Amino acid sequence: MDKERHAIILEALQSAIGKENVEDSLSVMMAYHRDWLPPGVLNPTLPEFVTLPDGTEQTQQVIKICNRYNVPFIPLGSSQWSVTTAPNRPGTLIIDSKRMNDIVEIDEKNMYAVIEPYVTMAQVHAEANKRGLYLGSPEASAQASAMAGHVFQGMWGVGHRLGVGHRNILAMEWVLPNGEILQTGSWSNSEKTRFFGEGPGTDLRGMLRGLAGALGGIGMVTKMAIKLHPYPGPKEFPCEGMIPNHTSTLPPERFQWYIIKYPTLEKAAHAMYEISTAEIAGVLQKWPTVYYNWWWANSNEEYWKTWKEGVWQKHVKYAVAVCLWGFTSEKQLDYEKGVLEDIIEETKGKLIPQEIYDKWVPRTANNWIRDTNGSRMMRPSGTFAALRLPFDTINSSIDVCRVGADWVEKFSPPILDCDAPDWISSYDFGHFGAAETDFPLEKNVEDLGDIMQKLMGMLKEDLSHGIEGGFGPFLGGAYHAMAGSIFYNYGKLLGGIKKAMDPNVISNPPQNYPVERED
Amino acid sequence: MAKKKDMVLPKDPRYLKYPIDEPFDPRWTAWNCSRCSCCKWIDSWRVKSWKYARICPQHKRFMFDAFSAQGKCDLALAVIDGKMKWTDDPKIKDILFQCTMCGGCDAMDKGIRDAEVLKMMKWMREQYINEVGVLPDHQPLVDSVRNYDNVWIQPRTRRNSWAKGMEIRDPNKEKAEVLLFVGCTYGLSEELKATIKNVATILKKGKVNFGILGSKELCCGSPVEKIGVVSEFERLAKSNIECFNKLGVKTVVMPCAGCFGTIGQEYDERISVKKNFEVLHITELFERLIDDGKLKLKKEVPLKLTWHDPCHQGRLGRPYVPGKELEGVYEPPRNILKAIPGVELYEMERIKEYSWCCGGGGGVFTAFKDFAQWTALERLEEAKDTGAQAIATSCPWCESNLGNAIKGMEEKIGIHSLTDVMMSAL
Repeated sequence: MDKERHAIILEALQSAIGKENVEDSLSVMMAYHRDWLPPGVLNPTLPEFVTLPDGTEQTQQVIKICNRYNVPFIPLGSSQWSVTTAPNRPGTLIIDSKRMNDIVEIDEKNMYAVIEPYVTMAQVHAEANKRGLYLGSPEASAQASAMAGHVFQGMWGVGHRLGVGHRNILAMEWVLPNGEILQTGSWSNSEKTRFFGEGPGTDLRGMLRGLAGALGGIGMVTKMAIKLHPYPGPKEFPCEGMIPNHTSTLPPERFQWYIIKYPTLEKAAHAMYEISTAEIAGVLQKWPTVYYNWWWANSNEEYWKTWKEGVWQKHVKYAVAVCLWGFTSEKQLDYEKGVLEDIIEETKGKLIPQEIYDKWVPRTANNWIRDTNGSRMMRPSGTFAALRLPFDTINSSIDVCRVGADWVEKFSPPILDCDAPDWISSYDFGHFGAAETDFPLEKNVEDLGDIMQKLMGMLKEDLSHGIEGGFGPFLGGAYHAMAGSIFYNYGKLLGGIKKAMDPNVISNPPQNYPVERED
Repeated sequence: MAKKKDMVLPKDPRYLKYPIDEPFDPRWTAWNCSRCSCCKWIDSWRVKSWKYARICPQHKRFMFDAFSAQGKCDLALAVIDGKMKWTDDPKIKDILFQCTMCGGCDAMDKGIRDAEVLKMMKWMREQYINEVGVLPDHQPLVDSVRNYDNVWIQPRTRRNSWAKGMEIRDPNKEKAEVLLFVGCTYGLSEELKATIKNVATILKKGKVNFGILGSKELCCGSPVEKIGVVSEFERLAKSNIECFNKLGVKTVVMPCAGCFGTIGQEYDERISVKKNFEVLHITELFERLIDDGKLKLKKEVPLKLTWHDPCHQGRLGRPYVPGKELEGVYEPPRNILKAIPGVELYEMERIKEYSWCCGGGGGVFTAFKDFAQWTALERLEEAKDTGAQAIATSCPWCESNLGNAIKGMEEKIGIHSLTDVMMSAL
């Protein structure tokens, strides 16, 4: 950007939100130029400005300035891992939400919270737990933005009960790409009621929701009401010990973990269906074998030692993890235990050895209720990658996972040793399932570049066969441009929304769909 | 029959086992940052409220991501890879030095990976100093250490003044089992004189065979090490180790957490001279004396206290062993307080390895007073929220910085050195 233009925009921003809340210095920009992959893989660029508005009105002012001067902007939550929030073109402005860090309200009776973008899952959990409530948490760590966890992916450890994140969005306050402020649901009618998500017409939440959401392509939500749910757990999350070796045990009269081994993925999935149909449990997951070690190991040495010894491969391959919750009472837990034990017998499952259970559960299991260790996925090799993230039925996940496992095997090396890399989650008591093939990868530009190329190749091949089940939606606009015409022209819908909502095409282009400015 | 495939392992052996015994590689640390933001928040399992969920004072105060360990990883990588120079942006000074080097980010990062981000940040300061120079506000401190072997621009002879009339042995003249390493701040501060006198009095009551170096005591080197003037640090460290070894003392005990963390840990990391003595924080020795029956805490001290864990006594007080718990001197002070009749101990939300910094470290106390006070006020707010009447600690930097902040508060909270509380109970 030329200096004169830069200076004009800088002055406008400083006048709008205060000099101390606008940055353009090189060393500060450097902290926003990268996503979680190493530089050289996706080649992001430095932003031009970083702004810290303090709420809806200041966000509106910043966005209006962006419209006036045709400056693309990217809304940022916690920026954890930053898949699509690193600038991809010069002259970009970052709207960093750090001053929007309030839990505005918790309504215990109606069970919802109103949050701003820079409130973490852990913060909401802590306040909700005090009040006998809880919400989901992404396994990628509870220090992520709670709001982002509701609009992006939202694959929660407790999704079996709560569904994916976006099912828990209620009313919102939202600054549109043209600078207008939109309030949705009951909020549009009254400042006092935010607990109702739908409006009298079309449910506008649909524009933000999806597998990966709008990725900042339709403005910035500055306040959101989110559902909370009754919680039978303690007011404080139990934690003993010291980093990195702390443990957590929830009250056994209300929470009970089971890790049940099956000989095949099909049998594991079948057991998940049975458990879902019985409508029991708070957590129901089939994790890749590496997950057990990723979350458990306290050091690289410990990870690779136990991996080389085959500890996890032997005991937890194709295991189904269940956490029963006595939501209403201890009697409910007793009842669910009885049901689960019947299912284990009927499906010929086998509990993992007590020694492995005692080794793993206290140290790790409760990460799937309030996660703290998701970033350990990076530990043993610097990074990981994922292949195919279908949201469909639990059964359809099996075929996808089988293909995924073959793909991982085929491209190992550079893919590092892993075993049964299939993650299958249950959502809404088995009404749908999500899957992911996750594998460790060494963090160097060559290996990552190689795998990224192969992943893109697979994605394009899938599209050529009319298959959608990959990580594509997480790339956002670039993927939708390829896939839209293949799948019922959904790209036209996204493009139409984008043009209508963002006429100047400045809200994190090319999200959520690449369009050209009309003029 | 298909051949069983060999396990595909990382090519870089550092992923298989963290190279704790090899020379530190700052680029490796920076490279492996994944933007997880663990360096900004306390461990999620430990979050008890919205209010006290943060670990990094710098990031909470200044908010831009550059002011975090993650941002510093980006900066380090940029400089190492030649994308920018230390002189390119005057803001680098604030990013690097408006940080108390409390190690909170480092501790939380160790929760999820084998890494030493605090070491990387120290390396950055050292590089910056070498290329750009010492910060003007830090120069008097550096000059004072060079000229007077202390950080307070005081003549060496003043180090003895607090001990006048106490008849404490000089271990150069008379053998001592224990060396009480007083430290610059306790040794030279008028405000804290009473506390160090109490330390010596308690050791006498416990019949400890101890001595002090008095005017011959040199600074431990912590302040200069923290601001990046490593050459001065190394001079002091080598001299101190050689002196303590020569004295033949079994134990070196210090009432200052900064000295404890430095002599206990930093010396081992940077200096190859072996220490022939045990290093203890004063609270550890006091606890031993109580357990051995040599000190009896009999008098009632009716106080509602909360304990502040100094960073260098806690998460930075023990060597880092990948995979092992981040141990520190957490329990001895708590045990002492619990043993005092009348004392009620209330815990803050952020304690032990995830304690919030007092704001006094890393050169911030000297060069960035507003930020030092801001950080202290947050800690004092947290202390007040426990319902305690006073905050107790065992580090003169914590006491000074928190004490200064209390002066400006409308609704004050008390502050006590643990030593002073103990003295009241003896």
